[in-house]
Amino acid sequence: MQILIYILKRILQSIPLLIIVSILSFFIIRLSPVDPLAELRLNPSVSKETLQKETERLGLDKPIIVQYGKWAKSFLQGDLGITSNGEQVSTKLKERIPNTLLLAVVVIFMTWIVGVPLGVLAALKWKSPADRILTVLTSIGMAIPSFFFAVLLLLFAVKTGWFPVGGLTSSNFAEMSFGGKVLDITHHLVLPVTVLFTISLAGLQRQMRANLLDVLDSDYVKFAKAKGLSEFKVVYKHALRNAINPMITLLGFEFAGLLSGAALTEYVFQYPGLGRLILEAVLRSDINLVMASLMMGAIMLISGNLIADILLIITDPRIRVKGGVS
Amino acid sequence: MKKRVYVVVLVLVFCVLFLKACVRRDYPDNGEVRNSVQKEVVYTEFPPSQKTVRIDGVDYLQSQAPIGKFGGEIHSSTIGEGPKTFNPFNSKDNISTLMSDIMYDGLLSTDAETGEPIPKLAKSFEITGNDYIIHLRRGAKWSDGKEITADDVVFTWQNIIFDGFGNTSTRDSLVIDGKLPAVEKIDKYTVKFSTIQPFAPFIRMLSTSIAPKHVFEPAVKKGKDYFYTFLSTNTDPKTFVTSGAFRLKEYVPAQRVVFERNPDYYIINKNNEKLPYLDRLVYYIVGDLNNEVLKFEGGELDIINLQGANVARFKEREAHSDYKIYNLGPNTGTMFLSMNLNDRTNKDGKFYVNPMKQKWFRDVNFRLACDYAIDRKNMVLNIANGLGEPLYTAESPNSIFLNKALKPYPRDVEKSKEYLKKSGFYWDKKGHLLDKYGNHVEFDLLTNAGNTEREAIGVMVKQDLEDLGMKVNFKPVEFNTLVNKLVNTLDWDMVIMGLTGSLLEPNGGKNVWMSDGTLHMFNQRLEGDENSRRFDWEKEIDDVYVKGALATSFKERKKYYDEYQRIAYEQKPFIYIYSPLIITAIRTKFKNVYPSALTGVTYNLEEIYIDKGQ
Repeated sequence: MQILIYILKRILQSIPLLIIVSILSFFIIRLSPVDPLAELRLNPSVSKETLQKETERLGLDKPIIVQYGKWAKSFLQGDLGITSNGEQVSTKLKERIPNTLLLAVVVIFMTWIVGVPLGVLAALKWKSPADRILTVLTSIGMAIPSFFFAVLLLLFAVKTGWFPVGGLTSSNFAEMSFGGKVLDITHHLVLPVTVLFTISLAGLQRQMRANLLDVLDSDYVKFAKAKGLSEFKVVYKHALRNAINPMITLLGFEFAGLLSGAALTEYVFQYPGLGRLILEAVLRSDINLVMASLMMGAIMLISGNLIADILLIITDPRIRVKGGVS
Repeated sequence: MKKRVYVVVLVLVFCVLFLKACVRRDYPDNGEVRNSVQKEVVYTEFPPSQKTVRIDGVDYLQSQAPIGKFGGEIHSSTIGEGPKTFNPFNSKDNISTLMSDIMYDGLLSTDAETGEPIPKLAKSFEITGNDYIIHLRRGAKWSDGKEITADDVVFTWQNIIFDGFGNTSTRDSLVIDGKLPAVEKIDKYTVKFSTIQPFAPFIRMLSTSIAPKHVFEPAVKKGKDYFYTFLSTNTDPKTFVTSGAFRLKEYVPAQRVVFERNPDYYIINKNNEKLPYLDRLVYYIVGDLNNEVLKFEGGELDIINLQGANVARFKEREAHSDYKIYNLGPNTGTMFLSMNLNDRTNKDGKFYVNPMKQKWFRDVNFRLACDYAIDRKNMVLNIANGLGEPLYTAESPNSIFLNKALKPYPRDVEKSKEYLKKSGFYWDKKGHLLDKYGNHVEFDLLTNAGNTEREAIGVMVKQDLEDLGMKVNFKPVEFNTLVNKLVNTLDWDMVIMGLTGSLLEPNGGKNVWMSDGTLHMFNQRLEGDENSRRFDWEKEIDDVYVKGALATSFKERKKYYDEYQRIAYEQKPFIYIYSPLIITAIRTKFKNVYPSALTGVTYNLEEIYIDKGQ
């Protein structure tokens, strides 16, 4: 019951935040000198009448406050509006979200599966050669700019011919058997996943290592060891449980970055995800599309944090007792 | 501690050397390669034109090209976001137009060799005065098996185009004195169009796609707003009823568009087998040029347009590769330097252009001086890697309307100085240019930031003009800001821009050249300025443009358009710089490829086939 009230409060708190975010983004986009019709204006075969009609259709002839009001009203009614090309924003997003989710989930899953154990290993073998090697490797991972790494891998794909040059599916995808489809997607995913995995693995592994080292250094662990508890019990039952808490907060943020975090990598690999869509929309000043994706980002961030907090309440009894839920 | 530093330095040095060894040296700027590309402007021996034959009561169009093998795919690409609609009447961008042109044939098309209009969906056509009589093919079918008849043609023109559905550019350009041409059905296979007065560009417009009435009529009845979303990219490919050589099979957003062979197409080969040869046509949607080049190198693409340094690189490898490079000559794009000749004031009574500068820009001697100071050849060599053609005329060098009497000339700074002196300009001791009232000649030169080609041109134009003692402040600005300045606020001095034209029809430039056109950039008139003062030569161009559209024979029209090019050549409202060349590479396994400077490489997709064994 307490948790429910807590969630409700958090949701209420986020409403003004969302309003501010939407107003800020809307005005910044609209007040920037980007003209959605610039391309059309410079096309000699487009007539004055067509331009006029386009201006009216996009509502560009109205004051900006009215434009915002119109947008906000339809947003509240669940209508994201149409893009500047007349397509439904919601269908546009629906086309891309599964692709980006697929990429993000695979990457997060892999980094956690690999990163957390490596972090634990490094912390337990502190200052051993294994720890040192892992530190060097993760430093390299952190140091390579994702953009550059992606381009390198793409060149690798071209030279060897082992991997497709970007995209998500082959041109004969529709005729493949189910197994063939899975293989085809996997084949296309290898390179982008490698890039994102390398970049985020480093951060996660280091975080885990630092957390665990902190905990291992604390008095209660020393006490437990002194008391004669087995090393295994100390580490995996007591230390790890405490060390994992900050990681859950981190997961909340990662959830927020899920849908838009990999834009650069998506762009280089021509991956049909949200990042590319949003980038192109911003360049075109396609207001409805940009607003929808910004709002989605904001909502994801808020709900990501909320979920992380709820998970913390479940895993960490201290918060419950101390009145973290209040 | 010291030891550690050494180790770090050593590791770094090793890394740098290692990486350096991996990087292949860029191909040298090879003049020989460049020249060899440039000389080979494509010469193609075209097969005889396609002709109509009647078999079992069906009027087929018979290809006269060598007989090929059936099967295979061709993989091409488009740069950008992919098609925005599959409705041929809604498309406003090149990619959507390309896609809908594949799916919906028009009545006429263009001869690749001569540029003449030739029959496509029409069997033949006659022009008498203002009347255009079109005879349709008997037995040509929509992809759902219904016959293509005069009803479809009349519906397309009357109920979609003339009634103002979708993109109304075609309609708007046909309005003469508030009236539209008439279209009427004579019989099931004959349609008559009548224009109000002779209007030569009309014949080219007959290549507009024809829509199936039984599919489009319900959409038209639901009104314009519905029509705008009709056949959007979310439409199920199976529901399209089309007439082209290929029909839509699959559209995967941000990845590709796949077309498959139309098994019942009306073009046949010399063995009377139905074309096209290829089973499939795939367009990849790629985000940028670099990715496109990588895809071609990786073998995923079969055809690509090359630019800049890539041309030399690909040319060098051509002999040992599986592709061939064609130079299709200058493209329809024109790159130019323009001055703001505006002498009007805005609503607040403020001049758009500083009156001091107006006196320079509106002086033809000043414009000619700038023109002679510009080193076009140098720009072609240094900016376009030699892959461009210096431009002196308003029409592209490949245009069938080019005025060949207007000769190119080299840079001539002395001549520039003479022109300046004629108008009373003089130089101070430091070599700065002053006008006859003693003002320093200084102005801003704009172009759109991010377009590296135009930025490079800007730098060279600045240098060239500074040789005359002018002070040029070169400022690349964001594209949208620039467009806003050009068409709304009009507060600019000099600009480097490009526009695309047409090789076949100069009337498309109407919006640029007519003095009240929407893109009459060099002297843009906003609403309310319609009756403002015009230069005499602006009036002459207006006159020539009106007459050129009304004249019907090519010879007569050419006379008028020659005249407009001459005026532009003498008055220099635009100082043309160069046109880039179109360089296309296509894999040699494709046969029946007849590249044309007018229509490109893949205009005859139905005839192209794959032959690997050789």
